[in-house]
Amino acid sequence: MEPILKIEKLEKSFGSLKVLKGIDLEVYPGEVVCIIGASGSGKSTLLRCINLLEEADSGNVWFEGKDLMDLSTNLNKLRERIGMVFQSFNLFANKNALDNCTMAPMSVKHLSRQKAEELAVKHLTTVGLQDFIHADSRRLSGGQKQRVAIARALCMEPDMMLFDEPTSALDPEIVGEVLDVMKGLAGEGMTMVVVTHEMAFAKEVSDRVVFMDGGVILEQGSPAEVFGHPQEARTKEFLSRYLEEK
Amino acid sequence: MRKLVDFFRKDRRYGYLTGAVMTALNVWMWRSEPSRLSFLGSDSVLLYLLAAVCGVFAVMALIAGAVKLTHWRNYGETAMKKPAMLKVARYLYFLVLAAFLVTVTDRILLGFISLTEESVASESNPQGFLASMIYMFWKGRSMFALGVWTTVRIALLGTAIAFVLALLMVTLRILKPVRQDNDLVRFFKKVGGIFSRIYITVIRGTPMMVQALIIYYAGFGLLKNSSMTITEINYVWSAFMAGLITVSLNSTAYLAEVLRGGIESIDSGQMEAARSLGMTSWQAMRKVVFPQAVKNSIPAIGNEFIINIKDSSVLSVIACFDLMFGTTSVVGIYYRQLEVYCIAAITYLILTCFSSLLMKAIAKRMDTPAKDIPSSN
Repeated sequence: MEPILKIEKLEKSFGSLKVLKGIDLEVYPGEVVCIIGASGSGKSTLLRCINLLEEADSGNVWFEGKDLMDLSTNLNKLRERIGMVFQSFNLFANKNALDNCTMAPMSVKHLSRQKAEELAVKHLTTVGLQDFIHADSRRLSGGQKQRVAIARALCMEPDMMLFDEPTSALDPEIVGEVLDVMKGLAGEGMTMVVVTHEMAFAKEVSDRVVFMDGGVILEQGSPAEVFGHPQEARTKEFLSRYLEEK
Repeated sequence: MRKLVDFFRKDRRYGYLTGAVMTALNVWMWRSEPSRLSFLGSDSVLLYLLAAVCGVFAVMALIAGAVKLTHWRNYGETAMKKPAMLKVARYLYFLVLAAFLVTVTDRILLGFISLTEESVASESNPQGFLASMIYMFWKGRSMFALGVWTTVRIALLGTAIAFVLALLMVTLRILKPVRQDNDLVRFFKKVGGIFSRIYITVIRGTPMMVQALIIYYAGFGLLKNSSMTITEINYVWSAFMAGLITVSLNSTAYLAEVLRGGIESIDSGQMEAARSLGMTSWQAMRKVVFPQAVKNSIPAIGNEFIINIKDSSVLSVIACFDLMFGTTSVVGIYYRQLEVYCIAAITYLILTCFSSLLMKAIAKRMDTPAKDIPSSN
């Protein structure tokens, strides 16, 4: 099977700080890949390089066979098919939940308002917000905001979704409602790359766990392998600290 | 207003003090010459009645004061704090208040009305300061009206035009060349950025009076090179037109900076979210960032309008018939400077206060908190 996403020798630095030091990663259709690692290990930067919110210095990223680093590639067309969910939600502050979801389908895919709204209602229902369709995005709780953000990404009907620490800004009590939505998505066969600190989620849902440290992928494998029998000393150290905290 | 009413109704700690002040003011007003419309006059029964009330209150206040001085620490136990005494003091206090209101109506309000009537009907410029102000305001009313109309038009139109131009200017300012651009686009973005930066620096670094003169004479000079006669030029290139263009171009620079601040205050995540959904950077700007930035900038735009009302006064140097030019014209007729400039000051103050209230109402409606008027630029 062809990988949907292929990353090769990706490097990125901010000023003199080298954040990514040659990343190679392949993601196959329908796979759920969780990227774990300490803060500052380059997880989020890697994710942002995948849809070019950050521009990598060197290396290659192929998505569905197209080279993202090639200047002639229409990035906007590719981004339509890569949904992204942010740590800080980034809902459009001047719109309500429905308009947040309809804006991109209407202006990018040129759907009619009626079609876009049907789509938005469908996906808002999927994330359990059918009662908040007309709610002002600023008045929603964190968990609701993040679920609207997921619905907004789903409205573009992406082939792959990127999650950048989607639950890190949430109350521990409402993390569950967002994770449940993500589990549902994974169950439907969505290709997902998830940067997360939720080890239980990674263990339960992911097909593959990637451990990053210091800008490189130190170890990857099935959850059973990485959590059960970590090979690298650094992975053991990281995981044991997490287990202590729990 | 509500606070004032509450002060007189509820706050009795200062009852004797405010009563005494009002009594003193009453006496001062009674001693002044009664106007033609006065119903109190200088020796009517009503006047003596009011005087008697104030007199009784004054005596009582003096006694209270004396008792307070002698019984500084145990004033509360003296006869002055007996309920009956307090009741008498309170009713007397209300009567003094009523006497004060009657006197103000008679001497100040009716006095002003009769002064206005007299001044307006006067054959020549009266000697009194206020009378002369009213006389000249009435005689020069058409000039003041034309001046206010021009000032308001210039400020309104100027700010509106400037807002549109500022949107273009700020677009030039914030467009950054990106990797995907070809050389031509890159060149235009660079040139646009440099142009807007120079424009803003020049406009903000020179006085509007100089700008007005340069624009007026530059336009005049350009048209003179064509085959038009001076009369035709004056018809096409009026001082009003030059003034409006000056204010518009001037405000553009300031509003562009206001909008840039507004745009920069929008979290970069808004842009990233829009881009991640496949929107182009122009779509993201137009649909997500600009609406929020403009909304946040509304108080500052209102302030710019108020500043334009005041600063358009420098346009009188190019003979644009604004309020200041009208004022100067009236000065030229009567040769009474102080009085006429006071009229101009009051008129400007009314205009700006009214606009300020309007802006606050709009800002409240749009759910953006209004700030106070900043200093003029």
